[in-house]
Formats: sequence, C-alpha cells, structure tokens
Amino acid sequence: MSLLKINDLKCHYLTDSNTVRAVDGISFEIEEGEILGIVGESGSGKTTVAFGIMGLLPENTASSGEILYRDEVISSLSESEIDRFRWKDIAIVFQNGLEVMNPVMKVGVQVMEPMVRHLDISPDKARSKCTDLFRTVGLDPKWMDLYPHQLSGGMRQRALIAMALSCDPKLLILDEVTSALDAFTRKEIRDLLVGLQRKNGYTMLMISHDITFVSSLAARIAVIYSGKIVETGPVKDLLVSPLHPYTRGLVHSTPDIFVYKDLWGIPGDVPAGDEFRGCPFSPRCTQKIDICKKASPVLMPAGDGREIACHRGGIAGILVARNLSFSYRLPDGEYLQAVDNVNLEVREGEVLAVVGQTGSGKSTLAHILANVIRPECGEVLFMGGNVSGENYGNRFNGIQIVFQDPFSSTSNRFTVFDAVKEPLYINKIGSNGDRLQMVKNALELVRLPNNDNFLSKYCGELSGGQRQRVALARAMVMEPKLLIADEITSALDVSTSANVLRLLKGLQNRRGFAMIYISHDLSLTLKIADRIAVMDSGKIVEMGNSHDVMLSPSDEYTKRLVGSRIGLCCHNHPAL
Amino acid sequence: MMPGDPFLTTSADEVGEEIIVMTEEQHLYYLNYYGLDRPLSEQFLVYVKNLMMGNLGRSIYYKMPVSDVIMLHLPWTILIVVGATVISTISGVVLGTLSAKNRKNRSDRILMTGMIAFAEIPSFLLGLILLLIFSVYLRLFPLAGAITPFANYNGLVEQLWDILYHAFLPIVTLSLAQLTDVYLLTRNTLITVTTKDYIRTARAKGLGEKTVWIRHALRNALLPVVTRTGFMIGIMMGGVVLVESVFSYPGIGMTLRSAVVCRDYPLIQGILLVIAVSILVCNLLVDKIYGKLDPRVVI
Repeated sequence: MSLLKINDLKCHYLTDSNTVRAVDGISFEIEEGEILGIVGESGSGKTTVAFGIMGLLPENTASSGEILYRDEVISSLSESEIDRFRWKDIAIVFQNGLEVMNPVMKVGVQVMEPMVRHLDISPDKARSKCTDLFRTVGLDPKWMDLYPHQLSGGMRQRALIAMALSCDPKLLILDEVTSALDAFTRKEIRDLLVGLQRKNGYTMLMISHDITFVSSLAARIAVIYSGKIVETGPVKDLLVSPLHPYTRGLVHSTPDIFVYKDLWGIPGDVPAGDEFRGCPFSPRCTQKIDICKKASPVLMPAGDGREIACHRGGIAGILVARNLSFSYRLPDGEYLQAVDNVNLEVREGEVLAVVGQTGSGKSTLAHILANVIRPECGEVLFMGGNVSGENYGNRFNGIQIVFQDPFSSTSNRFTVFDAVKEPLYINKIGSNGDRLQMVKNALELVRLPNNDNFLSKYCGELSGGQRQRVALARAMVMEPKLLIADEITSALDVSTSANVLRLLKGLQNRRGFAMIYISHDLSLTLKIADRIAVMDSGKIVEMGNSHDVMLSPSDEYTKRLVGSRIGLCCHNHPAL
Repeated sequence: MMPGDPFLTTSADEVGEEIIVMTEEQHLYYLNYYGLDRPLSEQFLVYVKNLMMGNLGRSIYYKMPVSDVIMLHLPWTILIVVGATVISTISGVVLGTLSAKNRKNRSDRILMTGMIAFAEIPSFLLGLILLLIFSVYLRLFPLAGAITPFANYNGLVEQLWDILYHAFLPIVTLSLAQLTDVYLLTRNTLITVTTKDYIRTARAKGLGEKTVWIRHALRNALLPVVTRTGFMIGIMMGGVVLVESVFSYPGIGMTLRSAVVCRDYPLIQGILLVIAVSILVCNLLVDKIYGKLDPRVVI
C-alpha cells in the first residue's frame, strides 16, 4: 500500500484574463519510507503539487483529481477536516523566505505551536521537545527566543525543518529547501536530511530545481514540465541516460554534473496560452514531429521502472555508424588502418566530440560520416537512410561538414556571396532572390555583416576567423540536422577560436541540430561536448559522458591524453 | 495677526447683555497691565520666559491663571477623546475583520460601501443630526453640558452614570467620524496579510481557522492600526473643537472657541500648546508601543 497516491491531479489558476494550468494531470505514488524527487524548472508546477497535497491552494484554483493518503481521499476534505492530517501526518518544509515564518512571533513558539495543538501536550513539554528538535537540526536551543528576522537564511531553514518535524509526520514534503542557501549550508542541510531519513525512515517528497541535491537523496525522480510529468525513473538511470530531451537539457544545464562545460540553458519558453493542446515541450524540442503540436503525449513505461511521455519514445537517434573501416595505401604498398571497426551513435540535439591525437583517424571518420569518402566496410545510417545511397549533403536538414582549414575550403577567388551561395547553386535550390535572402540569413546567424559591401568582398580579403565563419555560413545555409565540425578552430588563434567555438555552440543550442565535433584539443572540447569518444589508431577506445571521461578515464590512452595537458606555470597542481 | 482687542469684548459675549464700554484711560491701563502695549518680540520673550517657569499666563476673560482654566476643562476632553478612540478602534477592527473574512461576499461589499459613504459626513454635521434626533426629538440624551447642573448624587455610581449620560453623544459622534478609517485600514491590511507566506505556513500547520486569523493574521494586521490610532488622537483634538461646540460640552475645545471669540490670547496660546504637546506625547507613546509589538522595529 502506498503512503500517498495522486491520481490525475489538475490545478488550474483562474485569473481574470486567462487560466494558468500549473498542474495538468499528474499521477504518482510514494511508498512508505521512499524518497521521491520532483524536479523541473521554476514555473513548472512543482510547488503547486506540494500545496495541492497540503490543501493550501489559493482560492482562485480549480483543481480536480484525487489525492489519497493511506487510501483515504484527502483532496476533497474541508479546511477543518484536513487539519487532522496537516502536520501530524503530512508536514512541509517550506522554501526559505523572510516571511515564511510569522515575523512577530518567536521562532520557538512557532515550532511549539503545532505540538500543543496536535499532540495534546503541555507548553512545558512542548518546550523541552522543541529544545531537542533544535539540537537535532543543529541549532542552539537558545535561538528559540529569537524572532525570524534575527536568524540567517541557513538557520531559518533549519528552524523550518525543526518545525516540520515537530509532530513526527509520516510524510515530509520538502519544497526547494536549499535553493537560497550557500554551498556549505546546502551540504549541511543535505547531510542533516540524510541522517534524519536514516534514523527515522521518513517518507519524503523532495521538490526542487536542484537536480544535484535531489539526486543525492532521492531514490526515484519525476521530471515535471509545464504541469506534466515527462519522465520518471530511478535516479541513476535518469541522470546517466536521460530519455526525454527535457531531462537531458536539465542534466546538461547542471554545473555539478558537467563541471567543465559552459552552461547553456534550454532555449525557448513554455508555451503560453491555454489553447495549446500539444506536447508542452514541443516548442523547445529539437526532434518534434507533426503529432507533437496536436496531442500531448501520455506517460508510458519504458522498461527498468522508467516511464516517459514523448511521442518519439524519448531522445531519437539521428546517425548510426556500424563497423566502419577504412585504410590508406601508403607509397610503400603497406596499408594504414585509419578507421578500424568503429561503431557510434549520435542522438538528436547532442554534441558528440571525437578526440584523439593527430593521425588517430578522426578526420577520416568525419569524412566517412559525411559521405565524403566511402568506407571499406560497414554502413552509416542517417535518420534511417543509408548515407552512401542518399545524398544527405545535397538537401536541407541533412548532413553538413565544416573543414579544418578555411583557407583551402573557401576559394580566394569567390566573393562571400558566391561562397555561401555555392551549395544552393549546385543543388539548384531557390530563385536568385531566395538565395540572396538565405545567404543573408546565414551570415547573420554566424554574426557576419550581411550588407552588399561585405557580400561582394573576396574571401581572400578576409581574416582566418571571418573565413571560418563564412565556411560555417555555407554549412548553415542548408539548415543541417547534423553538423560535422572537423578541427574547425585549430587553424585559428586563441581568441578567434574561442569566438568561433562559442558561436558554434550558441547556434547548436538555438537551432538544436546535432553535432560531431572533431578535435585534438581536450580543454576546448570539454567546453561544448555532451559526450566524448576517444580515438586511438583508428579505434574508439572510450566513449561516454564528457565529464566521466575527463574525470575518471578508464582507458590507458585516455588517461595519457588527459594527463598530457600542459598545466600553466601558475597552477600548482598538475593539469586538472 | 488676528484682529480684535480683548478689552473691547471683555463682557460683551451674550446677546442682550449690557455692554460696558471702557474709558480710554481704563483701556490703556489694561493694555499696560497685560503687557500688550509692548513690542511683539518683547511680548514673545516674556511669554517664553514665563513658560519655562511653568507659568502659562493669566486668562483675560476668566481672570485666573490659564493653567487653572485648562485643568478645569481638559479632563472632559480627555474623557471623550479617549472614549472615542477606544470605541472607534475596537469597533473598526471588529468590522474590518468581519469584512476581510467575508471578502468578495455581498456582506463585505455592502459594509464597505456604507462605511465609505458614511465617512463623508463631517463630524459637526453628524453631531447636529444626532443631537436633533436623540436629544431634541427623542429626548433620550441631554442637550448640553457634562453633568446635570446643581445635582446631588447619591454615591459615585450615580455620578459616573450622569457623566457617561452626558458624554455619550459626543463620544459616539467622534467615534463614528473615525470609525471608517480604522475599518478600512484593518480590512485592507488583513487582506494583504492573509496573502503572506506565514499565513500559509500557519494554515499548513493545521492550527485551525480561528488561530490562523487571530494569532497570525490579526496580530500582524493590527500593527498599522496602532500607528493609525496615534495619528487619530491628533486629528480628534482638532475635531473635538467642533463637536464640543455642537454639544456645548465644557472641554477645552469649547473653551478654545470662546477664547477665540473673546480674543483671550493667553488662553488661546495655552490651549494650543496643550493640544500640540498631547499630540506629540501620543505619537511618542505609539512609537514605544509599536516597538514592543513589532520585534523588527528598533527604537
């Protein structure tokens, strides 16, 4: 029997002008002794769920669905009836704020208040119990006689925890308990909660946008987006291999998980307006299809205790390479195995970096994937079709590649306009007017001027950074779903390469295309990659989450690669 | 400067009374006696010097020390001002709380509209209406005075009853004039307070509706009401002049009016000083009380 069960809970805030569907059909269960985490961005409806359980929704809320506590329906109880459950059975640790406690009452009195009311004990007994509670949460009991404004944020949060524990609740709801706290206090609160849970076996519902914090305590996580659960599953699986694009976005924007990567949030916003009936994530999704705009997906089991709500069954693969091999014939008749039985997969909207030293076969692999050269054996499938059969480079939403050296990949004798227009011209796409507009858009995208003056410049007149951007614009003009960037910054100086790289990642983030980023520069790679594949002598020796590969490389070669970074003289510890 | 001369009106207050006209010689003598012939600056310095020694001067009309005149009338004013403050504050808070609790209901809307409309009636007009209805037509209350003249009381209770009987209408008039302010302030502050996080916290703790409203909401909502009460006393001290005049109630308001009519400068100055000081004292008291009620305020 589950302790708390929620069936299709809907809470819609009705205002004069519109309806905000804060919670829109959520169902979940919490078993006795379990810790369930609910994560999502601000405004996703997390707190509304908590208030819904406690019966604290504002007056202008239209709510439906059922909330069962130990098989008793508590969602339809009146204010006075639900008081029986409040605090004694279900207590909540509120998000810390200056006014979350009554400003004119002493902290201790506020902690004692529910004890006197629910436990039917004398004020003296309540006071001694309060002293114990203060000690439990790591507060000096002398602070009982202070007023809330006299406490620091961390102390107030502890007092709020003491208050929630005062009647020994069966279910503890924690609403953003660490969001306003510094790292030290955050860790202390976490340790406190771990200790409490171990000692008393509380059932907890943790609500937070802090996925790191939740994952350090919870056994299961439900990811909520725009009032709907989009994915649930055991914490570890969810973090390591998120199924829903939104979960992946959340994990990727968490600095604790991706220590080295630059932070890129999930672009776009929650759909506004209550007329929208499609998948709420579709405006921000990189892999949406027609049905996503029309119907909202339901939560479906996805194996291993996981569930996902996505019309495409989660993050889709975009490119699969199987058993690729390629060798060069050397002048002495020997063969050099440049690519040796490589298997890899690229998924929608992700950045896969292929790193390795010069001559490890990275570029050859890139050329095979882009169908520039044909592999000796194996196949490359792009969105289900064979790359060598279909010319994905010749059409919109296909594969584009940007080469290492902009000086040889763009002709000196071409004007900027000609260079960028070239793929449109070759593939006979659009009228002259259309092409001009498309070229201008592409140039704007890569932050180059798109006036006539610049368009008529010759590529030979441009600097290295500008020329690499022109090359990038030439790829972007075809609006690829997969961009292969082969050492695109190695010919550029540090500052220019930083600019180009940020530009590229920005484009990828906004446009949502997938990218294979080939580089020998590990430091730079870590800034943008979601996953890393390490290549040595034509083989992929290690592949995984970029920070895992970086922090705990398992392969010998990777270890050497990581260790070979030259530390700056002012860094005392060796690289890393 | 106010035109007029205290010695031309010394005994010509009541209509039909024989007007005694002073001779030029007598007039000059009186001006000299009260020091009114000296330059203004000098008069002022003398006044301040006397004030420092606790001497408010002599009333020209009453022919006795100003302080004695004030002490004779001040208790009556204090009685009705304090009475009105207590009554208007308590009833304003009660009505405001009822209104806030039934917000968006019809009862709240009717109450609020009524109160706002009522607040537009000036206090002296209200006094006149009450006087007409209850004293003139219904003869329930006396027309004037603070006690029954030449009454012999059998004991203290009867005396107190007589005092209350006379003070009732002035107190009611003053209270009604202030009621709407307290009512609106309580209602609006309560409505703001009930949206605060700590009210949600209190409700979550399952403390019950009554505790939430009284201990948590009202306790916080009353803070501005306390401040308001301090200002209210000041406003009432002004309003009391008119109300006392309407009810011919012998407080300092009435005395001030007659002092103005008689150009009794020392008395006018004395009364105004007392009013100013009492307003300041009230504000100070309010600040002190506020500091006790709200721990966030340090005085």
